[in-house]
Amino acid sequence: MEIWSALARAKRGFRDDLRLHVVAIASLVVAFLCLGTALLSVENLSRIADRWSQTQHMTVYLRDQAKEADVAQLRLVLEGLGEIAKVEHISAARARELFAEQTNMNATDLAQLPGDAFPASLELDLADAVPAARIDKIAERVQRFAGVEEVETYRSFFGQLRSLLEAGRSGAMLLSLLVVVCVLAVIGNTIRLAVANRRREIEVLKLCGATDSFVRGPFVLEGVIQAVTASTLAMLILFVAYVALHGHVESTLTALTGVRTAFLNPLTVLATIAAAAFVGALGSALSLRRYLQV
Amino acid sequence: MANPAPGRKGNVVRPSVFRAKHRDEAPKPILVLEEVYKYFRRDVPTLRNVNLTVERGEFVFVTGPSGSGKSTLLQLVYRQHTVDSGRILFSGRDISRLTDTSIPFLRRNLGIVFQDFKVVPHWTVYENVAVSLEILGTTPRLARSRVAEALERVGLAGRGNERTETLSGGEQQRVAIARAIVTEPALLLADEPTGNLDPQLAIDILTLFEEIHEAGTTVLFATHDHSLLATSPHRLVVIDEGRLIEASQGLRAWSARMQGLGGASHAS
Repeated sequence: MEIWSALARAKRGFRDDLRLHVVAIASLVVAFLCLGTALLSVENLSRIADRWSQTQHMTVYLRDQAKEADVAQLRLVLEGLGEIAKVEHISAARARELFAEQTNMNATDLAQLPGDAFPASLELDLADAVPAARIDKIAERVQRFAGVEEVETYRSFFGQLRSLLEAGRSGAMLLSLLVVVCVLAVIGNTIRLAVANRRREIEVLKLCGATDSFVRGPFVLEGVIQAVTASTLAMLILFVAYVALHGHVESTLTALTGVRTAFLNPLTVLATIAAAAFVGALGSALSLRRYLQV
Repeated sequence: MANPAPGRKGNVVRPSVFRAKHRDEAPKPILVLEEVYKYFRRDVPTLRNVNLTVERGEFVFVTGPSGSGKSTLLQLVYRQHTVDSGRILFSGRDISRLTDTSIPFLRRNLGIVFQDFKVVPHWTVYENVAVSLEILGTTPRLARSRVAEALERVGLAGRGNERTETLSGGEQQRVAIARAIVTEPALLLADEPTGNLDPQLAIDILTLFEEIHEAGTTVLFATHDHSLLATSPHRLVVIDEGRLIEASQGLRAWSARMQGLGGASHAS
């Protein structure tokens, strides 16, 4: 019964202070958009990091003039090493095909790329927990083989990516804190203004025997509704923007990182909205506390 | 399942329906103030050694000059303030010892009417009256019939949909009275309810309180308007400088006494 009464009174509150609530929701949408953008960046950076950390990969690029016997000998040596789990030979033609598959590049664009852009290679999957020093040693030894152009361990790239990811995560954390403070402030001030407009209502309720929870109910609901509406709107706007931009930047990003971009995990979206609801309720309850003494 | 105690439904206590256990047993007074002191300034008590007993079904005027402590006395009863010493018994219970969480349940048994009406201007008349029932958890259907009944009693039948701010002062006070009586409280407290009204409206409102009293409600009516006191033969208690003086013989006797003490200005 009390929840229906609180809902009815919250509805009346929105009706009476419509403009105030619309302004508050608009401000909160901006705050949640910032948070959503940060989360989206971190999510995709994490995907890239996961991809590279899982592969434990090494590529041995072969010279164009590498003899088949040299390659076979190298392969034999590599397969004999305990640190190497798998060796796969990728010809230049296959490398071009794989690139086309991963980037969805059409045949015309692909044909325009230079012939030496895709050298033949040996793709090595490393066994688990190979120390970095041992990887460097293997790379150094492989480099001396005839027919080897270059050995790529990806360690430096992954190190940079990890730093970027950590910076991104820290930024997102900071932004999350700022958004929480912003949401608390916006909702707190909105409720304070609503309370100021409705001080007589609160006084009447208290004098008629309303408990604090009865008085607080609709204001907390208003805070929750504001936060949930704003966070949902922000997520929708972010999704629409993501879909609109995705087509333009996807192939380039995939070519650069080897990972397809993705929108936020549905659980992340739900958690953001749930957290918004909690912060909204908290902001309302805190700002109402001192007005309940009648 | 055991039957609930008489006068109790859920969390709501209805002292008005409390009855003596035995036929011979006299019902307890509805309100007793015993040696009540209240200080807002150290050394100067607003109320000093106030003793008052209000029986069920009584209509009691509380009068005295502005600042004498009339409103404070009522505020102690509905626990806006707490006594500094002494005790106040409402239906036999010491309300000065109530915890903050119990105060709402005390107020649900009181009807309170104020000088400044305390209605919510942008609400409709219906919403202003129904709020008391909403707090009690009354079903909307029952609330509708009880609000209609209360509005009829105060002369506002059929005006539930009007916004309260569009009503005159006298009508707004009637809305406040309807809100106070719609829950059928045990005790109706009126704190200068005619203070913002012209003399004719003041008499109309007093008449309304008398009608409510005739229906069985105990009324404690604070006013400094002696023209109202002169028109009604109810019990009169006077508060002067925080002291309560029983003036059961009526206003004229009290005025004469005050004049004798050089306090003619109070009774003018």
